[in-house]
Amino acid sequence: MNFLAPAALLFAAAIPVVILFYLLKRKRVVRLVSSTLLWQKFLAETQASAPFQRLRHNWLLVLQIIMLTLAILALARPYFAGKVTGGRLQVVILDASASMQSTDESPSRFEKARGEAFKLVDSLRDTDQMVVLQAAAHTDVKQSATSEKSALRRAIQSATVTDSTTRLNEALKMAESLTRDNNDAEVHLFSDGAAPGMKELENKGLRLVYHRVGLGANNLGIVSLDVRPNPENPDQRAIFSSVANFFPDEQKTEVELLFDGQLIEAKALTIPPTNTTPVVFLAAQPHDGVFTVRLTAKDDLKADNQASIVSLLPLPVKILLVTQGNRFLEKALKSAGKVELAVASSLTEEKPDCDLVVLDDVVPGVWPSLNMLAIRTMNTNWFESAGEVEGPAIVDWRAAHPLSRFVTFDNVQIAKALTVKTPSWAVAVVDSPQTPLVLAGELARQRIVWLAFDTVESTWPLRISFPIFIANAVDWLNPAAVQARQLTIPAGNPFRNALAEPATSAQVTLPDGSSRELVVDSTAREVVFGETEKAGIYRLAIGTNQIVFAANLLDAAESDTRPREELDFGKFGSVTATTLRRANLELWRWIAAAGLIVLLFEWWYYHKRTA
Amino acid sequence: MTGYAMASALLTPELLRRLEQFQLLAARRAKSSLRGERRSRARGQSVEFADYRNYVAGDDFRYLDWNLFGRLDRLFLKLYEEERELPVTIFLDASESMAFGEPRKFDFARQVAAAVGYVALCGFDRVSILPFPDNPEEAAARGALRSVRGRKSALQFFQNINQLSAGGSASFNETLRRGALQARRAGLAVVLSDFLDPAGYDPGLTALVGRGFQISAVQILAPEELNPSTYGDLRLIDSETGAQQEVTFGKYRLNAYRQTVENFCQTLREYCQKRGINFFRAGSDTSLEQLLLKQLREAEVWG
Repeated sequence: MNFLAPAALLFAAAIPVVILFYLLKRKRVVRLVSSTLLWQKFLAETQASAPFQRLRHNWLLVLQIIMLTLAILALARPYFAGKVTGGRLQVVILDASASMQSTDESPSRFEKARGEAFKLVDSLRDTDQMVVLQAAAHTDVKQSATSEKSALRRAIQSATVTDSTTRLNEALKMAESLTRDNNDAEVHLFSDGAAPGMKELENKGLRLVYHRVGLGANNLGIVSLDVRPNPENPDQRAIFSSVANFFPDEQKTEVELLFDGQLIEAKALTIPPTNTTPVVFLAAQPHDGVFTVRLTAKDDLKADNQASIVSLLPLPVKILLVTQGNRFLEKALKSAGKVELAVASSLTEEKPDCDLVVLDDVVPGVWPSLNMLAIRTMNTNWFESAGEVEGPAIVDWRAAHPLSRFVTFDNVQIAKALTVKTPSWAVAVVDSPQTPLVLAGELARQRIVWLAFDTVESTWPLRISFPIFIANAVDWLNPAAVQARQLTIPAGNPFRNALAEPATSAQVTLPDGSSRELVVDSTAREVVFGETEKAGIYRLAIGTNQIVFAANLLDAAESDTRPREELDFGKFGSVTATTLRRANLELWRWIAAAGLIVLLFEWWYYHKRTA
Repeated sequence: MTGYAMASALLTPELLRRLEQFQLLAARRAKSSLRGERRSRARGQSVEFADYRNYVAGDDFRYLDWNLFGRLDRLFLKLYEEERELPVTIFLDASESMAFGEPRKFDFARQVAAAVGYVALCGFDRVSILPFPDNPEEAAARGALRSVRGRKSALQFFQNINQLSAGGSASFNETLRRGALQARRAGLAVVLSDFLDPAGYDPGLTALVGRGFQISAVQILAPEELNPSTYGDLRLIDSETGAQQEVTFGKYRLNAYRQTVENFCQTLREYCQKRGINFFRAGSDTSLEQLLLKQLREAEVWG
């Protein structure tokens, strides 16, 4: 042990002073009395009732010297020189996702977590360092490693809860990288555990302490929302929505549909516990606007009780089909919704007057820069190499991809196909053992669906799945539909909008009415807005253009606010919620204060008896 | 200094005049062998008829009852009670501890001794004052205070008392025991002391009681002893023994001390009552008249 301020030990000279005071105190006034007989009797009587009198006086002196010694020691600032000089590193991850807004804890889960984090800061030793991360749709470093408690408290205070989903993976990965070289590092996660599975996280020896907040789930939430043309009546729009009940018992609620803030329809709904009930509204749409679905029931989490979707009036899709003649394809394209189809045998323009191009086994003179469906033809910069395979068998297809919605590839035989390697810009929608048969992806802002085989050299055009696939492809490739889909984003995700013409500035009005100025690079081809943590309707103004977009939670995992006892980290194990104290709270200050009070009391008592 | 002036320093003339009216009351018959004015069991010459007895040859004819001889024709001798003196012994504590107090305890004790002695002298009783401890310097005065008799001796008696002083360490029990042994006849004993002897008071008083003395004990305490006014951390030194006692004393403990004194006095009082001893307690600042004219009279020490 060494001392930072050994000079303070000179204060030890005060100890003899205390003893001297005691000696002075104890010095008695000598008095001659007639007889000490009565005094002896008096002392014998009183001492019999207070046997510890002498002892107590001695204790006073001992206590004083101990207190003085401690004070001097503290002044001398002793420390242990040794290996542990760096102190521990603690990473605090505050879950700021929508589910943390739940009010089952008072006032909310997030505030509770914040309070717990404050306690952790209080228990921090002087040499310890702490990092504060806020985890929501993306992870914010609120405070880099420091041992300054006021900065840490400020950082925790500045954290705000969002309406977005939880991506704990990102935060945990960041924590892992922060603690990689520090064996003593601990990660403290303050969360309700309502996060999508973290099975991908390879938790290798991360010392994670999971502080669970949340008491129970009493939540109704809108978990999906979509708007489509009504298949039975093209003039109407169908709004598909589903409401999930995470209450432990059956719940009744009203679901309201609003169009641009005007109530159109309301439906009463009864949802069994832990069930999800679909709700479909049919409504006429006179102009482009925003459909909002709202739940009126009271629950713990308000963020998922309302969701909005931007709905644009459908315009006819202009398709240019370049083919040597394919009636199956022509028919399939014509039946794919509102379509204006033009057929040509060759293509010479880079930008023909259409929304998308279909190349059916032809090599165009000029490759168009539009979205395209390319059948058994390819640009040289698309793939590395190509060969040919006879009769490839379809073994797998990606059912979740929008292209393969409602599509099965059973009973589809193919005579021959090109063989390529799946490039990085595309995903294989349909696979054979030798080659991907259908690829979809986006290359240089151009959406491309590529078929490795000629449809007429297969049985596919005879199957019901063919026109559905073509319709899906048209929908996926239609730039207007793509753009419409981009107008509804998950909260916390950045909003991107392609610029029709160069702009230098833009203004976004947030759902709460405040506005943000955006500076746009004049060479940029799109504008990006990232401050979308709050769900609701945003308005972006660029020049004369007004673009409305909506941010929604729409996440069943987030709406399921049941607090998890355990976080699952895939095959690398799990972590259970801790109920342990988060650190050894230092008590010596309080004990010392108590000792001081006792000492004062003793003095007061002593003087009361002898005054 | 004239005798009367000295006497008035001890007792005022007014008080002396009132004391003259009193006579010491003896519960028992006097046992002195010397003639006095006290009734005794002895038969002898006095005016008080006691009994008859048959005449035997040689009896004094003067005591024959001639009236009886006339009626019965037999000779009877009339017997009279002989009146004898009552020895009064005053044990006066003259130790160092009696020199304390404001007013001094010893002064008060001397006044009481003088008053009791004066009453005895007026009643033709024999008075002895035994101051203790011994003081060779005052041997003459102390010797003259033994066996004083007669009212005419009062002046000299007061002068001698005035010459006494307090000092030295007393052995209370030893003095009382010796006094009990030395007395040829038991009589009235008056003990004037503060009874603050480390050895206690039991053996001395027991010796007096056993010898047959009729005892009056007067405990004289100084106001300071009853109500201490010094506080703080004290080292007390006993004036007689030199013993030291460390005491931490404050107002808070005053009541406890008073209780201690009260207990001590109460123990002494009970001790005396059990043995038929008249007990009086007096602070040295109490009025002498109160003690002499009221308390002693009520207790029938004199009347």
